[in-house]
Amino acid sequence: MENLEALLHGFTIALSGNHIFLMLIGVLLGILVGVLPGLGAPNGVSLLLPLTFGMQPVSAIILLSCMYWGALFGGSVTSILFNIPGEPSSVATTFDGYPMARDGRPTTALATAFGSAAFGALAGVVLITLSASWVAKVALAFGPPEYFAVYFLAFASFVGMGGSPPIKTLVSLAIGFALAAVGIDTVSGSVRLTMGIDELVKGVSFVVAVMGLFGIGELLIAVEDEFNVKAISSKVEWREVFRTLFGLPRYGWVLLRSAAIGCWMGITPGGPTAASFMSYGIAKRFSSRRANFGKGEPEGIIAPETADHAAGTSALLPMLSLGIPGSATAAVMMGGLMIWGLNPGPMLFIEQKDFVWGLIASMYLGNVVAVILVLLTVPIFAALMRVPFFVIAPLIVIICTVGAYSVSNSYLDVVLMMGFGVLGYLFKKLHYPLAPLVLATVIGDKAEDAFRQSMLMSRGSLGIFFSNTLVTTLVFLGVALLVLPVIWQALGKMMARSPIRP
Amino acid sequence: MVSRRSLETATALLTGGFGAAVVVSSFGNGIGWSAAGVDAGTFPFIVGLIILSGSVYNLVQGWLEAGDILLRSSELKRLAILFIPAAVYVGVIPLIGMYLASAGYVFGALAWHKRGSFVFSAVAAIGSAFALYLIFERTFQISLPRGLLGDFAGF
Repeated sequence: MENLEALLHGFTIALSGNHIFLMLIGVLLGILVGVLPGLGAPNGVSLLLPLTFGMQPVSAIILLSCMYWGALFGGSVTSILFNIPGEPSSVATTFDGYPMARDGRPTTALATAFGSAAFGALAGVVLITLSASWVAKVALAFGPPEYFAVYFLAFASFVGMGGSPPIKTLVSLAIGFALAAVGIDTVSGSVRLTMGIDELVKGVSFVVAVMGLFGIGELLIAVEDEFNVKAISSKVEWREVFRTLFGLPRYGWVLLRSAAIGCWMGITPGGPTAASFMSYGIAKRFSSRRANFGKGEPEGIIAPETADHAAGTSALLPMLSLGIPGSATAAVMMGGLMIWGLNPGPMLFIEQKDFVWGLIASMYLGNVVAVILVLLTVPIFAALMRVPFFVIAPLIVIICTVGAYSVSNSYLDVVLMMGFGVLGYLFKKLHYPLAPLVLATVIGDKAEDAFRQSMLMSRGSLGIFFSNTLVTTLVFLGVALLVLPVIWQALGKMMARSPIRP
Repeated sequence: MVSRRSLETATALLTGGFGAAVVVSSFGNGIGWSAAGVDAGTFPFIVGLIILSGSVYNLVQGWLEAGDILLRSSELKRLAILFIPAAVYVGVIPLIGMYLASAGYVFGALAWHKRGSFVFSAVAAIGSAFALYLIFERTFQISLPRGLLGDFAGF
């Protein structure tokens, strides 16, 4: 009940004219970056971040989170109409969404995707509404050792469940940690890892890293393939939209299962991409219409879309209540929180009630706004895809360059961004995951501080991580997740299953 | 033509080099336990070791993998067409400033691909520089660099 009251209060904050306007802008910009092949949610949000420094935190987070919802929806549009995933997390949507659209049912495909996406998002927000303050309450009792154990668990679950080669995930994570350590050490005050470049004393901004890794890197990946945009009719027939939406409850079981997978993967930082693939794979394995998958099966659209949005939304739960983001975009938003002077974690629920509940209420509204806007604007954004890539690419390079510069008015950041771009390209090409790097860059020094404070408490004994049941359980869970890939690999060799593909 | 093997090797060397640099640089901050607690270099040292050893593993793994072709020459060419102008664009910003560089970049890209006429390209170039000015300088009060040329001209 307490939560419901707080939520209603949140609605009074989110439902102001100013905030509705920000939602519209955020969702539209989000769809735009979602549709454009070189731009995605993480760097869309980080591009906007420097421009929010003068805003009220709650307004800023509404703008950024709505951009995230818009990007998740926009990514599905291009997946379905053009077979080009606008976002990594909507790759699995192409498997059945594009065939359905190609066979003359684009409206059905889009409406199925948006309807299940909205359901997934709703599941995520309801989960946050019901459990966020409870998690925060539990976390209030956490000391540094518990925090370090939770961080450890988060990083371990990346390695164990992220789906990328474990050692590559580990390298990506560790690079993020090293980047987080560059600059002045908050505990001792000494300068670290500047490699002789004085300007690096200010550290490496995660915004710059994200813009390079996701912006330039993504662009370099995209340019390799010649785009053959085959225009499928992008006209939306409203009668068909409603017919499809009202028919969705028939897939209730798929919706619920996919939402559960999504929420789980969002909270343990597996991320939306892994969630959508996992959900698609499970749907295919257990469906009675297995043979239809890959040929335009509605379940093949519902499963990845629901999981994608459920994961994207519930990724904000650990960010708000523990200070651990569940996805790359959530990591960027959390970085924003820290820049706006807020301290992500359980104290938010006590000190910044307006911010937290305003955000949660805006998530309900923002997703409704996103569904309506995306349906209304499909033809416009579909037309945008016909603008040649050689026109869009330089514009994206310029946007990223100016964006990187605007973080702290530094040319070094621009050069770093280009460097990250090359790294992002290599990493994408060779299946190194990028999200762990971003996550570690944002919360690396918090994890380090937690470790060092724990060590101070125990006078240098690692025994403190086994000093009570809670911390011991967390550490063991983390270790189990680290070992998981080895077990998976062994099982996989025994069973020799084929990878998930339509 | 670039094989998976060479790309894996190059990336592993890159990350390994970074890891080694982190390890070496952390020595300066002290490693281990002192009166003030865990020394500042300890965490980077461990992280650097993880990067280094992980890179060695990836290097070996990359060598053992089949040497399939990851980048055909046509793809390499398209990469170069995007990346080289972008690198030049970033490179000339300290000289001629962000506005001129951006306008030149847009003009060059449009004119090169022969779709738009020179007039169209020029209009688009000036338009994008103006848009940058409006959005950043005017709306958000972020001053973009004018470069040496701008300083010289007193802009």
